[in-house]
Amino acid sequence: MSLFGTNTGFGSGGTGVFGSTTTDSHNPMKDVEVTSPPDDSISCLAFSPPTMPGNFLIGGSWANDVRCWEVQDNGQTVPKAQQMHTGPVLDVCWSDDGSKVFTASCDKTAKMWDLNSNQTIQIAQHEGPIRTIHWIKAPNYSCVMTGSWDKTLKFWDTRSPNPMMSLQMPERCYCADVVYPMAVVATAERGLIVYQLENQPSEFRRIESPLKHQHRCVAIFKDKQSKPTGFALGSIEGRVAIHYINPPNPAKDNFTFKCHRSNGTNTATPQDIYAVNAISFHPVHGTLATVGSDGRFSFWDKDARTKLKTSEQLDQPITACCFNNNGNIFAYASSYDWSKVQSQYTYFSFVCWLWYSIYYSQLGYFID
Amino acid sequence: MGRKKKKQMKPWCWYCNRDFDDEKILIQHQKAKHFKCHICHKKLYTGPGLAIHCMQVHKETIDSVPNAIPGRTDIELEIYGMEGIPDKDMQDRRRVLEQKSHAESQKKKQNQDDSDEEDDEDEDEAGPSSFQQPAAQPQAAYMPPMHPGPQAQGMLPAGYPGMPPMLTGVPPMIPGMPPVMPGMPPGMMPMGGMMPPGPAMPPMMPGMPPGQLSGPSSTTSDSPKVTFPAYTQPSSTPPVAASSSTVAKPPATVTSKPATLTTLSATSKLMHPDEDISLEERRAQLPRYQRLIPRPGQTAAVAASAPPSGAVGGMIPAQRVIPPQQPGIRHPIHGQYGGPPQGIPGYMAGGMPPYGQSAPMVPSYQAGPPGPPMGIRPPVMSPGSRY
Repeated sequence: MSLFGTNTGFGSGGTGVFGSTTTDSHNPMKDVEVTSPPDDSISCLAFSPPTMPGNFLIGGSWANDVRCWEVQDNGQTVPKAQQMHTGPVLDVCWSDDGSKVFTASCDKTAKMWDLNSNQTIQIAQHEGPIRTIHWIKAPNYSCVMTGSWDKTLKFWDTRSPNPMMSLQMPERCYCADVVYPMAVVATAERGLIVYQLENQPSEFRRIESPLKHQHRCVAIFKDKQSKPTGFALGSIEGRVAIHYINPPNPAKDNFTFKCHRSNGTNTATPQDIYAVNAISFHPVHGTLATVGSDGRFSFWDKDARTKLKTSEQLDQPITACCFNNNGNIFAYASSYDWSKVQSQYTYFSFVCWLWYSIYYSQLGYFID
Repeated sequence: MGRKKKKQMKPWCWYCNRDFDDEKILIQHQKAKHFKCHICHKKLYTGPGLAIHCMQVHKETIDSVPNAIPGRTDIELEIYGMEGIPDKDMQDRRRVLEQKSHAESQKKKQNQDDSDEEDDEDEDEAGPSSFQQPAAQPQAAYMPPMHPGPQAQGMLPAGYPGMPPMLTGVPPMIPGMPPVMPGMPPGMMPMGGMMPPGPAMPPMMPGMPPGQLSGPSSTTSDSPKVTFPAYTQPSSTPPVAASSSTVAKPPATVTSKPATLTTLSATSKLMHPDEDISLEERRAQLPRYQRLIPRPGQTAAVAASAPPSGAVGGMIPAQRVIPPQQPGIRHPIHGQYGGPPQGIPGYMAGGMPPYGQSAPMVPSYQAGPPGPPMGIRPPVMSPGSRY
């Protein structure tokens, strides 16, 4: 019996147990389907950090809720808990010790959810929906960073109702990522700002966008010494830019690649170009995963500049994705993202699949 | 620009019209893209060389140069770098380059087919060429129509009829500059490019229906309009003669009407709504998502002209009948969320350690308050959801 009490109406593929036997576009990859998915599109996913045993997955959705599942080693997912906002949840993140989850919502607030006590308190307030939330753990401070459509980036000590710091941005925040000591924020109008977080957050550099279309998602990657060294930026035009902060040879090191387009190289029919909805880096291999509105996910190796794998096409766009802390599990959420203008897509299938290590190990020969 | 040196222009590839900084790079490009054997991937030096290799080693004949644009696929022409390019093509290109530099004020096209990750053996791609290409591309695209003279006439008129279909959805674009997207077929370009030099039409272009030009020129003043997105550089091939009009200036989006994207092109279509706001912003504007959000200081562009997706269900809520299941999925009608900090006692009782066993928790959920603590949300439902 599902914990969240979802009715049985959902799931065009059934109430989603473990995939189906025939190939269907609902779960063509035959991945494990998460039970008790939210009732509206999923906007964000986050796995628990390595400091905690086990794998817990948090998903925020447009149904104003944030849900927590435990993902067990045998592939079972167990719904654990849920919290609500008064507006759609746009981003979630974990604290570094895994005891708290931070959630950001269209209701202009951000909350801290203490999982042990299952209590939430509001820790941030903006003047517009909060689009991104990240936990920053620096040697001399810790705080929550929130980026909002009110064009500000604020930093909050969770104990105080006033922000520790507030930085003005040129435009609305569309996506952000943090890997201490670096933070990247991509804004509307193709703005791109890098912040450095040592001592206290400050703007480091504004970068001219390597992409020609609206920014949609960004993810920082690290070098061999695990220091953040650059980021991958995705746009609505089916393209991702790999950008290093201080490369030896920018012209050669930075590049862009196309993805999430239909038709491949067939030029006879017009190509459909889809937005890249999320980018996620594998914590161990450093390969990146992109998910798009075309309903596929792909894995890429940015150093070899090759594509490793593309999934089959799902029947709905994939809106969020995330690797777990050791890279054995890849979770992705399939739900409508409003990218089609017409309203045909009026149902939301909001199921997450977990793509298990068994699949990933098959990739091994690509990576080696 | 290196217009007056090296045969009076930067090295460019005759097969595909791309520009390069250096002849060495050009040659590398040709070897990798045009003179590479598709069977064994051996790189040859010339077209005929490739043909001979395929015949001798693989016993296969090839009749056209791989990755070459139509009209430039002749395998028998011995071209190496810039050597061997027929004079006529040289002159055509020079002319095109000159026109381009006169007619346009800004030119940064979008990235073309470069640095494709699918092509992992590509050695001359990557950053550098990807960003230089754009500048060259528009010029390059001129070539096709200008190519063999006699053909040109045939091509253009042929090309023209081809246009309407592409621009069907956007008639206003024709007078303006068709928002040229990358990857646009070369056929498109000339149309655009031809427009400016209305009077100075190259002799090659007689076929270019002047009638077509008069249209645009009369409306040049209108062209750089709001329809052009904030993305200045990319789509401009401001072919319109109004040289002063720097097309594609980002219309200030501060007003409630967001800028629109250029999504149209014959070969590609952006699957994204037209307004240049993020998908989340678009969605958050829908009434169904605004119910419980504190009213004042609402986000920008709420005025967004009834996005079509409004039809999705945003408008419907009020009339919707509430089916037994309380679509208000948001409502804890099914009981159970732990959510509202109004402290659902049921949860605390179980201690609710999320990391504990799940079993004990279930019962406590059921005990949850039936009434939606969160205020009544209209039955916004999943229109069309499965019931």
